[in-house]
Amino acid sequence: MINPSTLEPTYTEGFKTDLQDRKPLLDTIDRRLIERPSFSFRLQLILGFLLLFFLSVTIIIGSMIAIKRIQNKLHFVQASERFLFEVEQARRWEKNYFLYGTNLIDAAQSASNAKILLSQNLKSYQKISPEQAAQIVYNLDKYRELLGELVVLEKRKGDAPARKQPIESALRKHGAEMVEVAVSLELKEQDSINALLNLFHQIPIYALVAYLLIIIYVAYFLAHRFMKRLNFLIDSTRRIASGDFSPIVPIRKYRDEFTTVSMAFNRMLEEIDARHTAMVESHKLKAIGNLTAGVAHELNNPINNIMLTAHSLLEDYKELSEEELLEMINDLINEADRSCSIVRNLLDFARESESVSEPLDLGVLVRETIKLAENQIKVSGAKIDIAVQPNLPNIRGDKQKLKQVFLNLILNAVDAICKDGKIKIDVENATSPGFLAVHVLDNGCGIPSHIMPYIFDPFFTGKEVGKGTGLGLSVSHGIVNMHGGKINVTSEEGKYTRFTVLLPSTDIPADIKRH
Amino acid sequence: MKDKIEVLLVDDEAIVGNRLKPALTKIGCNVEVFEDPKEALKRIDEKEFDIIVTDIMMEDVNGIQLLEHVHRESEWTKVIMITGFATEALAREAMAKGAFDIIAKPFRPSDLREVIAKAAEALGFEKKTVA
Repeated sequence: MINPSTLEPTYTEGFKTDLQDRKPLLDTIDRRLIERPSFSFRLQLILGFLLLFFLSVTIIIGSMIAIKRIQNKLHFVQASERFLFEVEQARRWEKNYFLYGTNLIDAAQSASNAKILLSQNLKSYQKISPEQAAQIVYNLDKYRELLGELVVLEKRKGDAPARKQPIESALRKHGAEMVEVAVSLELKEQDSINALLNLFHQIPIYALVAYLLIIIYVAYFLAHRFMKRLNFLIDSTRRIASGDFSPIVPIRKYRDEFTTVSMAFNRMLEEIDARHTAMVESHKLKAIGNLTAGVAHELNNPINNIMLTAHSLLEDYKELSEEELLEMINDLINEADRSCSIVRNLLDFARESESVSEPLDLGVLVRETIKLAENQIKVSGAKIDIAVQPNLPNIRGDKQKLKQVFLNLILNAVDAICKDGKIKIDVENATSPGFLAVHVLDNGCGIPSHIMPYIFDPFFTGKEVGKGTGLGLSVSHGIVNMHGGKINVTSEEGKYTRFTVLLPSTDIPADIKRH
Repeated sequence: MKDKIEVLLVDDEAIVGNRLKPALTKIGCNVEVFEDPKEALKRIDEKEFDIIVTDIMMEDVNGIQLLEHVHRESEWTKVIMITGFATEALAREAMAKGAFDIIAKPFRPSDLREVIAKAAEALGFEKKTVA
């Protein structure tokens, strides 16, 4: 078994205009809005700029370190140049000694110069490559040792080429090895200087690209978020203008400066809603005021009948037959009943009551509204016709408020028509499925096209000063919107005006309804 | 000069005619009652009436139209209007178009009788007839 109530549309959720219900609801929404963690635009801006700042600092510190390293490497290369020069000088003297027997002391001197230079910069060598540094030290020590041996041999004068021979080859070997290692070290350092310089060449380009990306990202991200929030607020104002006064509820995970705006919006909505309710109510009273001519006429007739009958009874009591007396008393009762039903009908509409959403037969509702305005229409001299399509589904809504809409349209039609006025009301299935349509057509003065866009605006009136409040259509529009419906108008100046109210039907299939 | 005042009464409320006919006959009027203003117009074309009492708000033909019709036929006929909703504008229009008087509903039979007496006097009937 399907419960029909679960199938009914739920648009009535935003329907509650009762202030007692709305206040705690708004407070909860406010709390939910404010309880979210804050991620404000100020914070986002600060984060963006901090990111840029740290990037700059990194680049500057990196550059300083790199420059220092290049400086150190240049120092090393210079020292290495001097060391190599001394070593090569020693080797030239060594060569002279072996060829001509001269310069041995010079060679020893150069070698010890080289030793001094090496020990001065040993740390730099060790830093680059400890093994190679050790190799150089070992070779230089060996070299000097061998030179020392040669010097000793020379002093003894015991010329023994046989002894010199192995020393010479060892000397050559160590010297060559030492130069080779030192040169390779120097080349290595030069390569690394070149690599660093190359890097330096590219850093500004990379930095610029990085800056650009960060700036674009920050700007785009911020602007995008900002615009999204702004657009959301713009959409909200549109929604409010169309009569939907439901508060803004939190959607995102974080709150920001716009949250305060949203909260202010909700406060404003509360005010608007309260005022709107008051406006609907006051407009209703105004509509009742507009009915006075009709109501006075309608009420005065039965009262007049009662008055005339009562006076006739008083004057002619004794002369009247029993039959005539009975007829007169029955007249009195019937006319009193008639006055009662007129007053009841009016009060039923005028009574201030809470918004209730109930299933309604639209045809019956429109007929009741016509009854309310019937005499007003008669006073104006207009004719009214109603045609209701049979077997229409129900609608759901607030009876009083919907009557107010139709009464307003009918009274507007009455105001618009002049001579031979005709009002035609059709209640039927709308062309859009799931909707019922009520057309109120009059052959009156029509709506000039230049004021057409404004007719639903509050306080806009096309009537003479003092005649219209400018609230009727605006209030009607609000009420129809609240019911999930639409109100349209077509008109030709001097010919006709047709207002069409579309209201969603409760599409409960007949077989479910029966259960 | 006739003895009886010829009165025609139009009101779409049947009770008005039912009650006023005896009330006016009593004071020496010859009363014809109509609920349908079109029928009343036909009768006016057939017969000259001294006084016509008409409701203003009626379907098809209203009291003002009836007043205009009567005055086209005979200028001296006095037309008394009765209305359920008397506005100043309506009263001014009726008077401007030559109505003798306008009475607002609800009224007592004696109110109408007083106005009819005045109208009869204006028409030259003797006062005692309608006393």
